[in-house]
Amino acid sequence: MARGEIQLLDLTKVFEDVTAVDHVDIDIPAGEFFSLLGPSGCGKTTTLRMVAGFEQPTSGRILLDGADVAYTPPHKRNVNTVFQNYALFPHLNVFDNVAFGLRRAKRPKDEVRERVGRALELVQLTGLEKRKSAQLSGGQQQRVALARALVLNPAVLLLDEPLGALDAKLRKELQLELKALQQEVGITFVYVTHDQEEALTMSDRIAVMANGQVEQIGTPKDVYEESATVFVADFLGVSNLMDGEVTGRDGTALRVRVGEVELRAERGEVATTGPAKVVIRPERIELEAYGENGAANRLPGMVERVVYVGAAQQLVIRLATGEQLQALVQNDGAPLEWEQGTPVRVHLPPSALRVLELRQALADTTADEG
Amino acid sequence: MTTVAERQAAPSLSTWERVRGWVTNPWGRPRFLVLVTWGYMIWAIVPVLIAIQFSFNASRSRTTWAGFSTRWYWGDPVDSVWNDPGLRHSLEQSLKLAGADVLIATPIGVLLALGLARWRGRGSRPANFLMLFPLVTPEIVMGVSLLLVFSHVFTFVHTGTLAQILGHVTFSISYVVVIVRGRLFSIGRQYEEAAADLGASPTSALTRVLLPLLAPAIVASAAIVFAISIDDFVISQWLSSGEDTDTVPIQIYSATRGAPLPSTNAIATIMLLVTFVSILLAFLVWRVFTRGERRAAQSTAESMGAFTV
Repeated sequence: MARGEIQLLDLTKVFEDVTAVDHVDIDIPAGEFFSLLGPSGCGKTTTLRMVAGFEQPTSGRILLDGADVAYTPPHKRNVNTVFQNYALFPHLNVFDNVAFGLRRAKRPKDEVRERVGRALELVQLTGLEKRKSAQLSGGQQQRVALARALVLNPAVLLLDEPLGALDAKLRKELQLELKALQQEVGITFVYVTHDQEEALTMSDRIAVMANGQVEQIGTPKDVYEESATVFVADFLGVSNLMDGEVTGRDGTALRVRVGEVELRAERGEVATTGPAKVVIRPERIELEAYGENGAANRLPGMVERVVYVGAAQQLVIRLATGEQLQALVQNDGAPLEWEQGTPVRVHLPPSALRVLELRQALADTTADEG
Repeated sequence: MTTVAERQAAPSLSTWERVRGWVTNPWGRPRFLVLVTWGYMIWAIVPVLIAIQFSFNASRSRTTWAGFSTRWYWGDPVDSVWNDPGLRHSLEQSLKLAGADVLIATPIGVLLALGLARWRGRGSRPANFLMLFPLVTPEIVMGVSLLLVFSHVFTFVHTGTLAQILGHVTFSISYVVVIVRGRLFSIGRQYEEAAADLGASPTSALTRVLLPLLAPAIVASAAIVFAISIDDFVISQWLSSGEDTDTVPIQIYSATRGAPLPSTNAIATIMLLVTFVSILLAFLVWRVFTRGERRAAQSTAESMGAFTV
């Protein structure tokens, strides 16, 4: 199925004096599960609404399978939306909600009945045709919204935080279900979310947005492990950000000075030496017994707090430089060796240590405020 | 155990403290509020009930009870509502005006509300504000000015039924706009967007989604228009062309100044009943249409939202 390719070219949307979407370029090949991820106000929903046709772009183009649809009204676009709060028509029952689009397209009665039946089967709601939306649970309403959009065989399905209103457990179930559904129907999904875990779980690729701009586009592994900017590293889960100074090169790795210790960092790239940010994921930090600090890439610190989070224990470590790091220790049943107040040696493996340019860091702090 | 027993021992209270506690106990029922509410209800309703009672009086007196009879409704060959041409005609005139008012003001008001709710930009705020003007303008001012308009500008409109209908429509449109606009704001744009997303043209989104969702507000506003039109005295009086176009309130007013009979009470009772039934119908329709909506709280919020600007 070669339908559902989306290209956003230099897309911009200005609301009165706020630039919600700022020269965004995104290419989504047909059949991809693509997520727009970012904090509220980053422009992800506005981008989606422009693709759906609810907002007119200030400038730029939206190509759907090569045809510019930026000025096509929503009812003439071959894209369908699952809304954040579902927007199921309260005066219609489940069957009529799902049949709504087919009836507007004047499909014959038999076809409507047959296709609605199949769509409800797809989302496992057979038997609830006569219910009103108010008589459905949140998860069921979400499925009706999906069926209502999918029954029209759109080239692209747009989803605006569709799991936002559900509780954590149901959300996890539906994440996997949605992904399976997307693979089954094979159309392009554009998924808007502010939940990084959701985006990582389901997407083929993710665009991380901040302040109306795209910070990074890549596979979940790319954006998580190879975060291009400090913002991305920080937004995708807990990141430990330390101030450092790039002092030079050591083969393929960079030498960074953090406090009094010089570290090797094998990841990240900076143009010049000088101040930079050093990033490491909590799960990559290794703790060792306190001892002489001769070994490479090790910093002295002290366990300041131990937080029990279920599957793991989160340790907050205060470094000698005064900075705080978070480390995750998997809960394997053995008692934790590190108590609050224990001095430890923090091992930051060079392969997990990443250097990011400060310039971006500065740009992102302003983005955070906006 | 002992502490529990001690705690259970009733504290001895003076009568005054007990009365005070009965009224002001913060954990108990809000008895004081209940008392005030019932006091008001009795104050407001008892005179009406007495007026209704005397519409069934067997004698010509409106103050001395002489037994039950329906003579003032249809029994009396001269003075009953049914047989007195003045009363009967005024009842017809009132119903005619109220009916025409509902049929004209409701659709126009709905369209205005749609326009005002969707109109963003220069002029929309003043327009939204001006919509409230007829609600706060003293009716007498409106009556006088309408009379001036009809007698000097639109002279083809003569006083009488047409002028009365135009007058009623003029001031009742605002009620429709305010109620429907409130409902529009509370349902938001999402359903329209969903309809458009599913391929409904703007017209089809309006008829298939928006109007059904607005139905309770439309019915409620129609009932209110009917009720205020049938109640109206000032504008009907100013734009009346004489006995022919007198409405029930005008009839009652002039009858009371002359020699009132229980038939006046009878016609007032009929009016009350008609208004009551129309409001009751609207309420039932509202309930039926909003049954599907999830939270009961929402409809309360909506009916209150209807009166916010």
